[in-house]
Amino acid sequence: MLIPPLFMRAGTRIGLRAGAALLSCAWILQAHAQTSTQAASLPLADYSLEQLSDIVVTSVSRQEEPLARAAASVYVIQGAEIARSGATTLPEALRLAPNLQVARIDAHSYAISARGFVSPQANKLLVMIDGRSVYSPLFSGVFWEMQDVSLDDVARIEVVSGPGGTAWGANAVNGVINIITKSAAYTHCGVAALHAGADEQGASVRQGGRLAGGGHYRAYARSLRVDGGADDGLQGDGGLRRAQAGFRLDWDGEQDDVTFSGDMFDGRLRPDRLTPRTGFSGANLLGRIERRLDDDQSLRLQAWLDHTRREQNGIGAQRLETVDIEAQHLLRLGSHALSWGAGHRHSRDRIDNGPLLRFTPAHRTLRWSHLFVQDELALTPALRASAGVRIERNVYTGSELLPNLRLAWDVDERSMLWAALSRTVRAPARIDRDLYVLDPADPRGFLIAGGADTVSETARVAELGYRAQPTPTLSWSGTVFYTDFERLRSLESTPAMPGMPVSYVLGSLGKGNLRGVELWAAWEVARGWRLHAGGVLQDVDAGREPSSRDSTGLSGLAGNDPRVTWTLRSAHALAARWHADFSLRYVARLPQSAVPSYHELDARLAWQVRPDLEFALAGRNLLHASHAEYGAPGSRQLLERTVFASASLRF
Amino acid sequence: MLPLLAGIGAPLVAPGAAVAAVATAPLLERRVKAAFLYKFLGYAEFPPHSFADATAPVTIGVVGADDMAAELGRIASGRVVAGRTIAVRTLREQDLAQPLHLLFVAGFEPARAARQLRASQALLTVTECEGGLQFGSVINFTIVDERVRFDVSLDAADKNNVKLSSRLLTVANRVQKGAS
Repeated sequence: MLIPPLFMRAGTRIGLRAGAALLSCAWILQAHAQTSTQAASLPLADYSLEQLSDIVVTSVSRQEEPLARAAASVYVIQGAEIARSGATTLPEALRLAPNLQVARIDAHSYAISARGFVSPQANKLLVMIDGRSVYSPLFSGVFWEMQDVSLDDVARIEVVSGPGGTAWGANAVNGVINIITKSAAYTHCGVAALHAGADEQGASVRQGGRLAGGGHYRAYARSLRVDGGADDGLQGDGGLRRAQAGFRLDWDGEQDDVTFSGDMFDGRLRPDRLTPRTGFSGANLLGRIERRLDDDQSLRLQAWLDHTRREQNGIGAQRLETVDIEAQHLLRLGSHALSWGAGHRHSRDRIDNGPLLRFTPAHRTLRWSHLFVQDELALTPALRASAGVRIERNVYTGSELLPNLRLAWDVDERSMLWAALSRTVRAPARIDRDLYVLDPADPRGFLIAGGADTVSETARVAELGYRAQPTPTLSWSGTVFYTDFERLRSLESTPAMPGMPVSYVLGSLGKGNLRGVELWAAWEVARGWRLHAGGVLQDVDAGREPSSRDSTGLSGLAGNDPRVTWTLRSAHALAARWHADFSLRYVARLPQSAVPSYHELDARLAWQVRPDLEFALAGRNLLHASHAEYGAPGSRQLLERTVFASASLRF
Repeated sequence: MLPLLAGIGAPLVAPGAAVAAVATAPLLERRVKAAFLYKFLGYAEFPPHSFADATAPVTIGVVGADDMAAELGRIASGRVVAGRTIAVRTLREQDLAQPLHLLFVAGFEPARAARQLRASQALLTVTECEGGLQFGSVINFTIVDERVRFDVSLDAADKNNVKLSSRLLTVANRVQKGAS
């Protein structure tokens, strides 16, 4: 059992910098089951004033219909909810999604996943910021401390639990997180915000406006400092400092919509007992054109560049450059809504290997190409079907096939039943093939090595969901899911050799299944008071093939999942200028490192002094002086009760 | 004007219409606002002298959002308010001086909205920018909890000789009266 923890540290903390990148980004299938069903419903002009006041408009979205029609398990975190939750970082904002498991490990690290396999190396969740993947091709996970967005400019975060391979590509196995920022057309004013508490301080400023040529711009800068646990005086406290700045330009024309955006960041982690000093930085640039060809067709082109650097003292460093281009074409032919497209991503990395950890080769060029086609067909006015397939090619395993089939039935105007069958994969990352953890006692030997034979993890998923809005003030969604996994990553011991230490090679001999239920609901109890409740009940059963020599029980690799999680949130306008928000969450015990179950409460009270000025007081983890969310006793950091104040000025 | 590809929000498969946003139709928000503008006419009483004769239409002007003007035009066709037809005009900034019953000033820039309001002679002025009422509009749209709501300034309504029904005021998000 010594080995897996070491390996785990290698995965996460290793000072490799990761970057953006695997697999092709999001195109999105815009197939739309024609409006025949909508045409039957009442024109908006015939709604009452009250009914009009109760239509949820995603204020910055271009979506005509709410996501309520999507045949998938999607939870949407609205930008306004993020502000009211008091979240100051992206991972904290993700706690708002009931279909995600978010566990904070220490000042800067998080284990985040959907549908199980929670670990700092969670590798079945694809994360995108405005269409740019931030999934690291190094270890097929996300370095959360390197990801930041201007939270005030987030339009919404779409959290899809379940497979999204056909739409988003390999690695969207158990979920997809789409972080979508507002068009610069919606951020014309300036905002300055500050927050400060005993162990966290941050500041941000944003300015936006109109460009001479009819476009819109915004620029922002933000910085954050998070203190770690108690400093033992020897190493440091493991705190985080980070600064980021960026811009976005938008032009909305008659025929073309054009977006340009870019960000750059720099940060460092102070060392602690377990983590060496770490520095990271990066920059990215994205351009996108959407062109309406005619009434039935549109074209979308997107390209982005991304650079990241991550280095950890004494462990290693990685530099990664990625270029990604993609195109998609949407076409309506009779009752069919067809979309197809292609994309290519090219990454080049350079790793400066450290004394213990080695990636061979140290330079590697990774390429991914994809081609997809999807058709959505209105079978009857109430029944829609869609079928799609994506072929994605990677340098490790060649071509992978990612098909799916979905059905949606509008039971009536207020409810929908859907079902889906998908096959998706997680393609190997650098860590699966190219990693060596050297044996400190014998520099020629190794403790763990990547496996030349590792192949893609595959998942076959069946889902059934129901979504309804029985009254204007109440809506709910429920999904049951079953996933059959094959060829999960395993850690195979090498045959015992006299005089040689036992070592391990990564293999693909794990298997397992996952089943569970996701439920959430929102209820507007009274004007100005909304309640949200959500929860997940799931069972992850990981095992291995008979031929496997994995004696670790997949402990380091399969995740460590609570059986039950739930949240209950209240958003209340107490008076015209006062808002109170509470969020209570429960996470059942984690089986492997014996993290006890916990309840915790976050709260925020905000006072809108003037339309342009708000003060707030927020508390996190108020129920207990401290609690643990992830990690083994002794190595985990306890999260303490914390309170901070914030001020936000619009100008 | 309303391409079929519009309304793409309901991708059957890929919910994250997010990045793709191919939609070209008015946003749902704009459609809701257009419906509100039409509804406002039914809850406002304009001075009789603002109509040339008994058959003169109620006039609506929209500046800064041609798509909304088109949407309103669709709503208005075939509908009557207090026995009058509705005429919708797409305006440019230089057209603002003409008499109108309702003017919608689209856009989120307070400075521009203020300038356009000053140039206008309209009776019931509606804006959608932060602090719109401060610049003299009668109704200002806001987004509250992801819904389209509106604030009303009774002073501005009085000044423009528009009577607003109490029914409208009960639905309003906030009603400003007096110096506040």
